[in-house]
Amino acid sequence: MKKALFVLLAVSFLCVFSATTLYAVEKGGAFNWIAPYGSSVSSLDPNASDDEQNELVCINIHRGLYKWDASQNAPKLEIAESVSSSADGLIYTYKLKNNVKFHNGRQLTADDVIYTYNRIMNPENAFGASGLLKVIKGADDVFNGKADTIAGLRKIDDLTLEITMERSVDPAYALFQVNTAIVPREAVEDTTTPFGSNPVGCGPFKFVKWVKGSEIVLEKFDEFYEAGKPYLDTLVYKIMGDSAARDIAFRAKELDANILYSSQYAAYSVDPELSKRLIEVAEMYTRMIAFNRDYTLADGRKPFEDKRVRQAFNHAIDSDLIIKKFQKNKAYPASSFLAPTTPGFDPDLKGYEYNPTLAKKLMEEAGYADGFPLEIVGTESDSYGTGAVEVIIPFLKKIGIMVKPVTLEGAAKYERQKNGNFQAIIGSLPSGPDPIQQLWRFHSSTDRASRNTPAFNNQQFDQYLEAAAAERTDMDKRLDYVKKANALFMEEAPLWFFNYNKAIIAYHPWVHGIQKVGPEMMFQDFTEVWVESSSPRAK
Amino acid sequence: MKDLLKKLKRRTNLVFGTCIVVMMTATAIFAPFLAPYHPVDDADLLYSEEPPSREFLFGTDSQGRDILSRVIYGARISLSVGLLSQLMNSIIGIVLGLTAGYFGKWWDDLVMGLTNIMLSIPAVIFALAIMALLGPGLMNVFIALGLTNWSYTCRITRSQVLFTRDLNYVKAAQALGYGKIRIMFTQILPNIVGPILVIATLGIAGAILMEAALSFLGLGTQPPTPSWGGMLAKAREQIFTTPWISIFPGLAIFTTVLGLNLLGDGLRDFLDPHTAKKI
Amino acid sequence: MFAYTVRRLLQFIPTIVAITLIIFLLLNVLPGNAALMAGGKNRLPDDVMEKLKERWGLNKPIHVRYLLYMKDLAQGDLGTSFFAREKVSQMLASRLWPTLKLACTALLIACLLGIPLGFYSALRQGTWVDTVTMVGAVSGVSMPQFWLGLLLMFLFSVQFKLLPTFGYGEGAAVNLILPSLTLGVGYMALLARTTRAAVVEILTQDYVRTARAKGLTKIWVNRKHVFRNTLVLLLTSAGLQFGSLIGETVVVETLFSWPGIGSLLVNSIFYRDTPVTQGCILVIIIGFLVINLVVDLLYGVIDPRIKYQ
Repeated sequence: MKKALFVLLAVSFLCVFSATTLYAVEKGGAFNWIAPYGSSVSSLDPNASDDEQNELVCINIHRGLYKWDASQNAPKLEIAESVSSSADGLIYTYKLKNNVKFHNGRQLTADDVIYTYNRIMNPENAFGASGLLKVIKGADDVFNGKADTIAGLRKIDDLTLEITMERSVDPAYALFQVNTAIVPREAVEDTTTPFGSNPVGCGPFKFVKWVKGSEIVLEKFDEFYEAGKPYLDTLVYKIMGDSAARDIAFRAKELDANILYSSQYAAYSVDPELSKRLIEVAEMYTRMIAFNRDYTLADGRKPFEDKRVRQAFNHAIDSDLIIKKFQKNKAYPASSFLAPTTPGFDPDLKGYEYNPTLAKKLMEEAGYADGFPLEIVGTESDSYGTGAVEVIIPFLKKIGIMVKPVTLEGAAKYERQKNGNFQAIIGSLPSGPDPIQQLWRFHSSTDRASRNTPAFNNQQFDQYLEAAAAERTDMDKRLDYVKKANALFMEEAPLWFFNYNKAIIAYHPWVHGIQKVGPEMMFQDFTEVWVESSSPRAK
Repeated sequence: MKDLLKKLKRRTNLVFGTCIVVMMTATAIFAPFLAPYHPVDDADLLYSEEPPSREFLFGTDSQGRDILSRVIYGARISLSVGLLSQLMNSIIGIVLGLTAGYFGKWWDDLVMGLTNIMLSIPAVIFALAIMALLGPGLMNVFIALGLTNWSYTCRITRSQVLFTRDLNYVKAAQALGYGKIRIMFTQILPNIVGPILVIATLGIAGAILMEAALSFLGLGTQPPTPSWGGMLAKAREQIFTTPWISIFPGLAIFTTVLGLNLLGDGLRDFLDPHTAKKI
Repeated sequence: MFAYTVRRLLQFIPTIVAITLIIFLLLNVLPGNAALMAGGKNRLPDDVMEKLKERWGLNKPIHVRYLLYMKDLAQGDLGTSFFAREKVSQMLASRLWPTLKLACTALLIACLLGIPLGFYSALRQGTWVDTVTMVGAVSGVSMPQFWLGLLLMFLFSVQFKLLPTFGYGEGAAVNLILPSLTLGVGYMALLARTTRAAVVEILTQDYVRTARAKGLTKIWVNRKHVFRNTLVLLLTSAGLQFGSLIGETVVVETLFSWPGIGSLLVNSIFYRDTPVTQGCILVIIIGFLVINLVVDLLYGVIDPRIKYQ
C-alpha cells in the first residue's frame, strides 16, 4: 500500500515536473537564421552599417543606449539603467549599467559612448549614423570640421554620462538604431584585424566566423549583462538573396525560420501545418507612387499640378483587390501615409475608396477626360516596383492614364528619384517609428534631393508638423497634430497610397520567441529566442 | 531529290531541329491568330493563378493573364531577342573577321586583340554591365547581347579568310581587277557561310538563355512585355505552389534551345564536305 | 618553350591594360553611384553622401580616377571596397578558392560525362542513338541555370533529403554536388557536342580510313588515332569556355549562397562598389588568360609535332 502510494506520488510529481519543463525555456542549441537582402553582407561594424542587411546581423552583436522593444513597439533604455532629463528637455543624464562588458572582456564605460559618438561624427568616416546624432549639441560642428569632439557629451564618472541636446527632443528614436551602438576603441583601432569583419560588441552574441557571401556564425556571450541570456548557444546567419532558394531550405528544415514573400505566404497560409506558425506585423513602410508635379505633357499642361488628377488616381485603383489577389494578402491597404504600427496612425481616417466613376468624373472636371500617357519608374519588385505597376495598368487605362512601367536597378532608380527625373515613381518609404521625423520629409524645408520625393509643399501641413514637434509635454496633443498633418497629406494626395507591408516570418514548431518588429521585421533580437530539443540543431 | 531524302533520313538531328524551329517561328509570326487572349490587356485579377483548365489551357499568372497567350506572344520576344542579337553578333563578327583576315597588318592585330579581350570577359558579366548602363528593356537586351558574343564568328571568319585568300578562285578574281570589298563579299563570304550559320544557330539559343539569366538578375525585358526568360525568372518563387506559371515558359525555352542546337549540329554535319562524302 | 611562356606572359600586360580601361569606363558611366546605395531602404542624408563621394574619390574627373587606379594597380593594390572598407585583394583571396573549386568540379563532371557521350554519339553518327544522346546532352544546356538549380535543390534536399540545399558547409564535398552539377550540365552538353563534331571530322580523315582498311580493330583505331587528335580540339574549346564557365558562376553562386567571386561580383555591380567589381573582373580575366596559356602548352605535350615559335 505504502509502496503504491509512493509510486502514485512519484508519478504525479513527474507529471507536474514534466508539465512545467514543457513550458520552460530550453537552453542551448543552434539557430539557422537568414540575411535575405542580397547575396552579401558588407560590414559588421555597426556604425558603418547603414544597410538593413548589415544591421540585421549587427543587432545581435552590438548594443547602444537604447534598443527597440518589440513588445511595447517603442524604444527602451538598454545599456543604461536610468535616465533623467532636465526641465527644458535639453540635458539628458544616463546612468550606465555596471555589468556591461565587451566581448573582449573589458567593461563598457562612459568613455566608450563618447568615443563611439565622436567616431560616428568624424567627417573622415562619413557614417550614415551621423545624421541620427545631430540631435546632440555640437555634433554637427564635428561633422563639418569645426570641432574635434562633440561639445554636448560630458563624462561625469565612469558610469554617468550627460548629453546636451541641440533642441528639446527625446533622443530615444535616434539612439535605438543599431548604427549608434557602442564600440570598443581598442578593437576599432587594432589594424591587424579590420573591425568590419572582426566586430567586437557588447551584445548577447559574439562574433565567431564569417564565410563571406555564405554565412556568419555568432556564439553566446557568457558575460552578457542580462543574466542567463541568451538562451541559444549559436546563431548562424545564412546569406541567401534568393527567396525561392530560401523557401526550399526552410522546407528542408535547414533554416529554423524564414521571411516570406507573397507567393510563399499564400502557399503557407493554406498549408495545415505551416499556417500554424506564421508571425505577422504591419511594417512601418508605406508603399506608394509619388507624382511629379513638374511632369509636363506635350501640350504644356501639368496634370499632377491638379489635385483632382491626383485624387482620381487614388480612386481609380482597387487596392484591396490587388492586395488580395496579387499580393496574396501580404499587405495592409494604405489609408494614408502613417502605418498602423506607427504612433499617430488614425484608424478613423478612411483612405480613398475604390470608385472608378468618381475617378472618371474628377479627371473630366480637371480637363483630362482624354487622359494622358505616364511612365512610372521603379525597381523590379512585385511589392513596391514595376511588378505592382503592371497590375494597375488596366485600372488606370479606364480613366485614360496610359501607363508604361520603366524598370531600373536600385542605384539608377535612386538617382532619378533624387534629381526628380521621373513622371511618377513607385517605391517604399519608411513611415515610422517616429511619425514626426518621417512626415518631416514632406515639410517644405526638405527638398526633393533630400527626401521629399513628391516635392510636397503645403503651409498648413508645415504648421501642424511644427506644432507637433514643439509640443513636448502633452503626448495626446502632440499626436493630434500628427494626425491632422497626416490627414491633410492624404487629402492633398501627392502620392498614391498603396499599402503597408505585412512582414511575415514562418518558423518551425521547435522555435520560440520570434517577435513582431514593426520598424523592420528582420531586425530580430535573439536574446530571448530558444529552441526545443526537437530541433535538428538542439544541443 | 531522292538523294536528298535519303540524306535527310540519316539526319534525324537536322530534321527534328528544323521542325522545332519552324514550329516556333510560325508560333511567333502568327501569335495574334493563335493566342486565345491578349497577353497584357486581358488581365483580370479576379482570375489570377487559375490552374490549367479548358478556359485557360496553361492556367493564368498572378496578374490574371492567360499563360498560353503569354507563351505564344513570348515566342515573338524571345525569338527576336535571339535572332536580332545574333544577327548583330554575326554582322560584327563577319565584318571584323573578313577585314582582319583580308587586310592583315595592324588592323588584324587590333581586331584579334579586341577579340581576345571579348573572349576573356565572361559574356554574362559584360552583358550585365551593359544592361546596368542602358537600363532594362527589350531594345537594350538586343544591344547588350548583340555586342557580347561576336568573337567566335570573328575568329572563324578570319581563319577561313586566311585559308581561302590564297586559293585559286580568289587569285583569279584579283587578276580580273575586282575590288577588295567585292572579293570579300562575293568570293570569300559564300564559302564560309556554313560554319557561320552553325555558330549562329547556337548563338540564338545562347542569347535566349542569356536573356533568362539577365531576367534572373533583374535586368531583362521590361514588364509587361512577355518574354520566356522574364516569365520564368519571375515565377521562380512560385515553382512549387503554382508550378504552371513557370513550367510552360520553361518548356518553351527548353524546346526552342533544343531545336536550335539540333539544327546547328545537323547543319554542321550536312554542310561539312568531309562527312558528306562518307554517305 | 620557356621563352615562349615568358613571351606569352608579357603579352598579358597590354591585354589587361586594355580590359581595365574598358571595364573602368563602363563601370563609371553607369547611372547612380555607391553613395546612393549606401543607406539601404533609408537613404543617407545629403551631407553624408557628399562626404562619401569625396572619400571614395567619386567627385574627381574620370581620367584622374583611372590614372589613380592604374597607379595603385601597378603597385599591386586593387583598392579598397567602398562598403566593406576592406582591401579588395583580401576580399578576393577568401573567395578565390570556393569559385575555383566549384568551376573545376563542374569541369570535371562535364568532362567525365560529356566526352564519352560525344564519342559514343559520333561513332553512331546519324542514327537514333546519336539523336537521343545528343538530345539528352543538349537538354542540359537548354535550361536556364537558376531553374535547373532550383529543381535540383527541391529534388535532392526536400524530396530525397540527401543533400544540403545551399551553402558552403565548411567546404564539405556534399555541399559541392548540387552547385557544380548545375554549373556543369550546360558545359557537359557543350563538350559532348564538340567531341562529337571533332570525332566525326577525324573519322573521315584518310589516315583513319587507311588504318581501318588495314584491318586494325575499331577500338584500336579509335584509341590511337581518334582520341589523341580529338584531345587537341577539345582542349581548345575547353580552354576558351572555361572563361565563360567562371562567368556563369555568377548565377549559380547567387542561388546557392556560394562564397565565391561570382556572387561578390553581382552584388558589387548592383551596389556600384567599383573597386570590388574591377578586382573581380581582373581576377577572372587573369584566370582565363592563364588557363589558355596552359592549354597552349599542353598541345605540345599531347602532340609533339606542335612546335612553339
